[in-house]
Amino acid sequence: MRSDPSDTGGLFVGRRPGTAPVRYRALPKLGSAGRQRVDRRLADAMLAMMTVLSLCCWGPIPIACLWIGAQIDYLSGSVSLGILSSLVGLLVLLFGALKIMRNLDEAWILVRRAAGIDQRSGALGRVFAITAVVCGAVFGIWFVLFNGTGSMVTPGNGV
Amino acid sequence: MGLLDYYRQFEGMPEEEVNRGLREEAAERRRKALTRVTTLDLSQTTWPELPHANIVNAITFTARAGLQRYPHLRGSRLRSELAERHELPAGRLIVGNGAAQLLTAATRALMEPGQELLTSWPSYPLYPIMARRAHGRAVPVGDGETPLVDALLAAAPEHNTRVVALASPNDPTGELLATAELERLLQGLPEGIAVLLDEALVDFADAQPTDGSLRLLEEHPRLLVFRSFSKAWGLAGLRVGYAVGGPGSEELLAELEPDLGVSELSQSGALEALRSGAKPLTRHVQSVCEERPRLTAELRERGFEVTDSQANFLWVAHPKLEGTELATRMERAGVLVAAGAALGEPRNVRIALRNAAATARVLSAVDKALGSRAQAPADSAG
Repeated sequence: MRSDPSDTGGLFVGRRPGTAPVRYRALPKLGSAGRQRVDRRLADAMLAMMTVLSLCCWGPIPIACLWIGAQIDYLSGSVSLGILSSLVGLLVLLFGALKIMRNLDEAWILVRRAAGIDQRSGALGRVFAITAVVCGAVFGIWFVLFNGTGSMVTPGNGV
Repeated sequence: MGLLDYYRQFEGMPEEEVNRGLREEAAERRRKALTRVTTLDLSQTTWPELPHANIVNAITFTARAGLQRYPHLRGSRLRSELAERHELPAGRLIVGNGAAQLLTAATRALMEPGQELLTSWPSYPLYPIMARRAHGRAVPVGDGETPLVDALLAAAPEHNTRVVALASPNDPTGELLATAELERLLQGLPEGIAVLLDEALVDFADAQPTDGSLRLLEEHPRLLVFRSFSKAWGLAGLRVGYAVGGPGSEELLAELEPDLGVSELSQSGALEALRSGAKPLTRHVQSVCEERPRLTAELRERGFEVTDSQANFLWVAHPKLEGTELATRMERAGVLVAAGAALGEPRNVRIALRNAAATARVLSAVDKALGSRAQAPADSAG
């Protein structure tokens, strides 16, 4: 089976998508070896920050929004206001976190290049996907093993 | 450099910006390609244009029809077409691998070792070579002042002459041997001397009918006329030529033929050229005949000595400039011409004729060459 998109029997000569060299306006001046090591650690820290933020999107942020909605419901006595505030808060916090992660991802690319690594693309997509899988798995374990589904067959703790 | 600027220098250019730069580079390359003036090669006497598509198609058709066969040994179809064109019996015309092959074969067939071949000089460099190949000797005749026929008639009895080889129009001088002069030569030469008349360039002549020499064949069996598809027909790569003789020459002509005939591809190309109504030939000849007097007059106005050419080139000399120097200066001005040193006269250059655009470039190059000549003493004085 053909797996290389550029393998066309020689009819078309071209580069695989995404493998073009990065073109700079002027050739960047790399820092010293020490600075490159620092940049590598900085890039790792930024990646960790992105991971934390991404994990927040799958649990802490929705929970925090629900808690805020519950407090507003309790204080105002209006369920609708509680639901609305939860929803608005969820959207604002989620999109805010995504925007921060996006900026972090772009900065992460530059810091990785400054560390001497030929970094072409960001890591946001992969980070988001991995954290989604991890959070989904954790939720599944908690839901099935600790909380229970709450059905008639296996009554859960919540019932 | 600030901290943020340090990291910003690692930002790559966006796709649009990269493409804009590439488009600008491509436009610059195109602009340069359009303004670049390529050297105009006027050093060759062959026609520079590609052959007509019909001729190429005919060759392709023959190739596809089967190259496993031997060609028609005597080029029968091409031969009869040529004979009809010249109103001659087919038995007195043979087809060969270019006029040069037939001329060489004729010299070998006619000359015995030690015999001599008379020729005018400068002339086609093949003539001395073919005399040597026949174990004979070439004798250049003519001092530039005595008429050529008189010089030949005077020289022929003085040597062990067997063959007189003449080109008409002559390469490189372009001079045409008038039919009346040729007849005088044929009548005046001693018995036993054959005249090989190389008319490879005769199609470019407009001073007399091109078949004038062929009319003399009936009364002068010592004459053999050679023609070619290489020059005015523009088919040098086919290597097709033919020879025509007078009554009784059939046996000699049969000796000149290539042993295994002419390539069938070459025959089909030449045949198609003849059958296509000779349009390419007419176009080439017309172009040359228009430019020849114009360039001759322009060069003479600039002080050049130009022979009365009837060929597709001019034989040119400047009184104060050696041929090699003139050729070098013209090459610097973008026009390549043949220096006369290799053709027998170091004072001259041979300039091929093409079209009005080529003539304009020749004149421009000549002006630049003469201009640099005028500047040279001033420079050295300075």
